[in-house]
Amino acid sequence: MDALEGLTVLDFSSHIAGPYATKLLADLGARVIKVERPGGDPSRGLGPWLGDTPGVERSGTYQYLNTNKDSIVLDLTAPGVEPVVERLVNMAGLVVVAFPPETRTKLGLDYERIRHTKDVPVLEVSNFGNSGPYRDYRLSDTVLYAMGSEMFSHGTADREPLKMGGTAALIQCGAMAAIAALGAVYGHEAHGIGQLVEVPLFDVQINNVDRRISAILAYRFTGRVNGRPLSAGGGLFSGVHPCADGYVEVTAAGGEYWKRFAEMVGDPALQDPKWLNPATLGDPEARAELDAIAYGWLLPKTRLEIWTEARKARALIAPLFTAVDLYNDPVFRQRGLWTEVEHAVLGKFPMLGRPYSLEGTPWRIRTAAPMLGEHTDAILAEAGFNAAEIAALRTAGVAA
Amino acid sequence: MTAPLPLNGIRVVDFSIVWAGQSVTMYLADLGAEVIKVENPRIWNPLTRASAARLTPQMCLALPPWLGGHPNNDPGPRPWNNSPAFIHILRNKKSFTVDSRTAEGLTIVQSLVARSDVLVENLPVGTLDKLGLDDATLQSVRPDLVILHQPSFGRHGDYRDGRGYGSHMDAVAGSTILRGYRGTAPLSNVQIVPGDFTAGLHGAVAVLAALRHRRRTGEGQVIEVSQADSSACQFPQAALDAAWNGRASGTLGNRSVEGFVPNGVFPCRAPGDWIAISCRTDEEWAALVRFLGAPAWAEDGALATADGRAQHEDAIELRLADFTAGHDQIKLFHALQDAGVTAGPVLSAAQAANDPHLRATGAWTTLPATDDYPETEWAVPPYRFSESPVGLRTPPCLFGEHNEYVYREVLGLGDEEIEELRAAGHISDTYGLEVLGP
Repeated sequence: MDALEGLTVLDFSSHIAGPYATKLLADLGARVIKVERPGGDPSRGLGPWLGDTPGVERSGTYQYLNTNKDSIVLDLTAPGVEPVVERLVNMAGLVVVAFPPETRTKLGLDYERIRHTKDVPVLEVSNFGNSGPYRDYRLSDTVLYAMGSEMFSHGTADREPLKMGGTAALIQCGAMAAIAALGAVYGHEAHGIGQLVEVPLFDVQINNVDRRISAILAYRFTGRVNGRPLSAGGGLFSGVHPCADGYVEVTAAGGEYWKRFAEMVGDPALQDPKWLNPATLGDPEARAELDAIAYGWLLPKTRLEIWTEARKARALIAPLFTAVDLYNDPVFRQRGLWTEVEHAVLGKFPMLGRPYSLEGTPWRIRTAAPMLGEHTDAILAEAGFNAAEIAALRTAGVAA
Repeated sequence: MTAPLPLNGIRVVDFSIVWAGQSVTMYLADLGAEVIKVENPRIWNPLTRASAARLTPQMCLALPPWLGGHPNNDPGPRPWNNSPAFIHILRNKKSFTVDSRTAEGLTIVQSLVARSDVLVENLPVGTLDKLGLDDATLQSVRPDLVILHQPSFGRHGDYRDGRGYGSHMDAVAGSTILRGYRGTAPLSNVQIVPGDFTAGLHGAVAVLAALRHRRRTGEGQVIEVSQADSSACQFPQAALDAAWNGRASGTLGNRSVEGFVPNGVFPCRAPGDWIAISCRTDEEWAALVRFLGAPAWAEDGALATADGRAQHEDAIELRLADFTAGHDQIKLFHALQDAGVTAGPVLSAAQAANDPHLRATGAWTTLPATDDYPETEWAVPPYRFSESPVGLRTPPCLFGEHNEYVYREVLGLGDEEIEELRAAGHISDTYGLEVLGP
């Protein structure tokens, strides 16, 4: 049995944040009906591409974000679409909407309209919420991280602030939206409450526990503002350091972590109490001595050799992996970070696997991401339209 | 808003530490679960309530603001009740103290588990087992318990004994290698720890799904969120480029993995002011060109498409930086957005704290002063429920604040037992000498 078996989600979201929220639900067993615009979710245009060959069904971004979902293509601006939307809403235990406020109203997908059809929880994912001076402003992953999160203190002081890798900010927002969605579903199923749940992306990042929320409170407490450091690293021997085949992240700044590091490296010179004295930080000679010892130990060893030693010594050191390293790593493979999907047309291909394992109700891929409009007819039939009506909807350009 | 909270009636035993675990239980508490944080007066969990149990103003000033910015840079005698790094994730929770390593302490914890629905922990792998709280025992005490483990690298497999904070997990997860400035080695990458945030989010999603299953079937279960796995899931583009095309992605700096050109962070007139600009579509590029006054370089037809612009990205970035450097950050932000270009200021903590939009939309609420911190504004949760009163309902729990409630009302103990436990050092609103020293 799947954890979210029996939950039907009607999903009007597109791109990355909303679809990641509904992917999390779909991979735990919810049935997600993804409503795509004619031409498809714009994320179908984003790489990487299967076999480096672009195509509407070959997008890595889309394939990852839409596993286990059904796709129906509807033109929400077409006359005659309303009864279709109403019947789909009636099938749903959760409706997900992610349009700019003005567009949402034009499309008739405001909460009041949906509730008029069915008293069901509605998750509204938006850039900046439904009010306030930025309400209608645009966002990208980079602008979101710049405004909402701790970009201000990421990077070095002599250069521009830096974003995270990939589109991590949007993925995080999707996960937060999934929490809100499941809260709303639980409230609906356990207590009979239908309600609107708004998740503005800006607010999600303002609440980011990767320092932003702390940095803001620190400012309120002290007037101090997080800045970018003059350089990476810190303490006696912390930060990223090279080794034989790449880099490792080291924390050996002081106290217990220093002792474990010194024990692991094994050079008697590191047992000198001076290394635990913060004043040693300012002594270039001592630091040169430490660098010689530490690099003498690190540089001949591979990342995995170092990590093996560090795990034995309980030292805080870990290798910097690339995605290729992760893909080839037998331990991550065995643990199930990777899986495979079977696509109706493209055949089998590898897929990034689960963020968690639930022993009783396993995370699982039932189906690859849907082809554009793959389930249009089936869903319309399930919604009660007969063959002639479906044909008419297609002719009128309502469905595709 | 008189509807019940979604998780009304759910009780969580909280053994979580640092950010990843403590934020899971924060989300559950926000949604209405009664989260009871299990604390031990004789043990200091690093980076869970503060950077250290004894802190002076000088030490605070030597730490970065997010970690050392206690009220007025003076933590007073109880740094664990006012650390900016951790106190906000104690909102809506309750704190009780017990030394779980003793026989009577273990009995108390088991008694609490028997009265609870969820247990959350992210202690080093094996810690709960050593305490006598392995999964089988927990399930015998409470058969329908939902148990969330959040190990760094999984509880199974060769890496299960890996130690680390977020930075080490992010290194293994492939996150660290993806950030940094273009053309520089990862050596120069400064620490951020997005994986902590994401592991907390994923953990809460998994628990909520398991609670739904439990409500429908009466079955609890064991959940594992390996924080490294969870962090890796933030980077599907790099992951699939590796799996499908054998390509190892490196850092793009501030450039876009989505192919947006330009996409970057540019200087504004005042030193230290920056603005982020993304042209997500060719229409947004056209809007930007109009905004720039249609200079000849920008009107070049070769730049009309993202592919074309990608060929000239360095030059476009230089031109844009030249332009933005003459403008006021906030005025430029509004003007670009009004012109149809995706742009936003890189907000400092001070700017974010005073941001007019966040103020207008109710992102903060004021909590009264306590002995440990002054009256100030606190963030409210980023999900707004129209009927259930999800929000900041109770202030961050102080160490041992709810001992009376937990021992008396939840566990049903009487005066005599409570006095004995207090005398034995279980019940306290401060840490013991083992932590604080003489």
